[in-house]
Amino acid sequence: MGSVDVSGVRHTLPDGRVLLDDVSFRVGEGARAALVGENGAGKTTLLRIIAGDLVPEAGTVARSGGLGVMRQFIGSVRDDTTVQRFLVDLAAPAVRAAWDAVEAAELALMETDDEPAQLAYADALAQWGDVGGYDTEVTWDTVTVAALGVPYDRCKYRELSTLSGGEQKRLALEALLRGPEQVLLLDEPDNYLDVPGKRWLEQRLGETRKTVLFVSHDRELLATVADRVVTVEGGTAWVHGGGFAGYPEARTARHERMAELRRRWDEEHQRLVDLVRTLQQQAANSPDMASRYRAMQTRLAKFEAEGPPPERPPEQEVTMRLRGGRTGVRAVVAEQLELSGLMRPFDLEVWYGDRVGVLGANGAGKSHFLRLLAGQDVAHSGAWRLGARVVPGFFAQTHAHPEWLDRTPVDLLWHGEPGRPGVDRGRAMAVLRRYGLTPVADQPFRTLSGGQQARLQVVMLELSGATLLLLDEPTDNLDVLSAEALEEALAAFDGTVLAVTHDRWFARSFDRFLVFGADGRVYESAEPVFDEARVARAR
Amino acid sequence: MTATVEYTAAADASVDEAVARLVEEFRPRLRPQVVGTVVASCRRDLSGVPVTALPEMVERLARTRLQSVA
Repeated sequence: MGSVDVSGVRHTLPDGRVLLDDVSFRVGEGARAALVGENGAGKTTLLRIIAGDLVPEAGTVARSGGLGVMRQFIGSVRDDTTVQRFLVDLAAPAVRAAWDAVEAAELALMETDDEPAQLAYADALAQWGDVGGYDTEVTWDTVTVAALGVPYDRCKYRELSTLSGGEQKRLALEALLRGPEQVLLLDEPDNYLDVPGKRWLEQRLGETRKTVLFVSHDRELLATVADRVVTVEGGTAWVHGGGFAGYPEARTARHERMAELRRRWDEEHQRLVDLVRTLQQQAANSPDMASRYRAMQTRLAKFEAEGPPPERPPEQEVTMRLRGGRTGVRAVVAEQLELSGLMRPFDLEVWYGDRVGVLGANGAGKSHFLRLLAGQDVAHSGAWRLGARVVPGFFAQTHAHPEWLDRTPVDLLWHGEPGRPGVDRGRAMAVLRRYGLTPVADQPFRTLSGGQQARLQVVMLELSGATLLLLDEPTDNLDVLSAEALEEALAAFDGTVLAVTHDRWFARSFDRFLVFGADGRVYESAEPVFDEARVARAR
Repeated sequence: MTATVEYTAAADASVDEAVARLVEEFRPRLRPQVVGTVVASCRRDLSGVPVTALPEMVERLARTRLQSVA
């Protein structure tokens, strides 16, 4: 069993801004704690401090039970890392060091096959055995069979970039959950997993006796797994000792309590200041009052030296105003539509005002279907048309806009594009402020976080005057608050919405579901369907 | 103590196989007794090596040492 104790941790950014201050919490043995906070609040930095990658400016981190870390980039590895190297990097430091020594000795032996090189190699192998390396290799075999369906020996030289994001995540999770480390730090373990993958993750995290601290924006995962919630906000962290179900109320109550304490402090401060002023005037006229005046000055100085209680953290202001407009009754009509090679022909009628969740297997053509409706060039047969006054607005997965990477939000809004008029800087800044994007208004798109990129795309939808929203995984990178703001905006939107999503919480806000089956069948369902298998393709 | 180690080495099937191969390889330059002694000494020097890697390591080291004297 293991635990993590964070005590008085402080971290300052290179620009001098204090990101975290006086962060203290404990994740006890067997706890499953969620680490939540807005995009950019410092969650990943805090995880890196706990993992030992960063040294805190002040405070300490105590860990027991060995630490396994799954970093955020896993799922998007595109370099030449092999499965073997990936598993070595996830192993304990002693195993990693022994492995590196064996590799170095092997290389030396290939260069010079003499007695010293052979003895060095023998020594490295003995060390590998001593740190449990052979047992580790047996575990890796179990891991690759569970995650990829292939024995370790058959996939160890395979490049990680040939695996899907979900497979990379699954491989890392299997290795950590089956490994000897008793404390796991998981940075967005559910990203890239489809719904069956997320359910698997929930089950495994529910079963494990290890201590887990994880970052996630998936409200369903948070509600199912977390037994306590560590929130990073206002430059520090606090702990809600219950599950996610009671978290929103607990957070609101905490904010109200902080605001009340601060209000009382301000009132008392004002009272003391007034008293000092009164006594000062009285002391000028009556020397008898001089001692009382000095005493009151001392009291005020002490009160101010103790300082005010912390301010209530500023609420992230995200106000999305998706207006839309009245369109023809039939918003989308498809007759015997088939996207080439992806599905069987299907018919569809979507009415003005419908909220349609597009669900189904990965690779079944959901994103292609939205792109077709958005007017992009997608090979298909059969017929489809949009109704009168229907103006599509498309939210693509964030990596789908290479042409935006070097442009800033203000520049993108100023220039506009077909179907979206440009706006001047003043108007652009006003809109960006409502989305909490003012601080990054002049930064290149590539430097924005996933959540900020997603919010900027919603800004563009707002300005385009779309009456049919086509959203491809819109909540994937949004923090919990932004996802809720999007749900509210969609509820108030006067128009039709089709959204591809794997977010079960978000999907519940829809009233019809179009399911793309793994067998090529496209059908409607009144309830969300998440257990369609992945489409099998030759890889 | 030495006798115990030599007995262990002699009982090790992989060592026996290495001795047989090396005796063939170095005949007639070296007598079989010399080969056996060198292999047993190598086995002792590599006592910490995991058993799966032992046969190959013992044979390689013994070959290197025998080549230096043959």
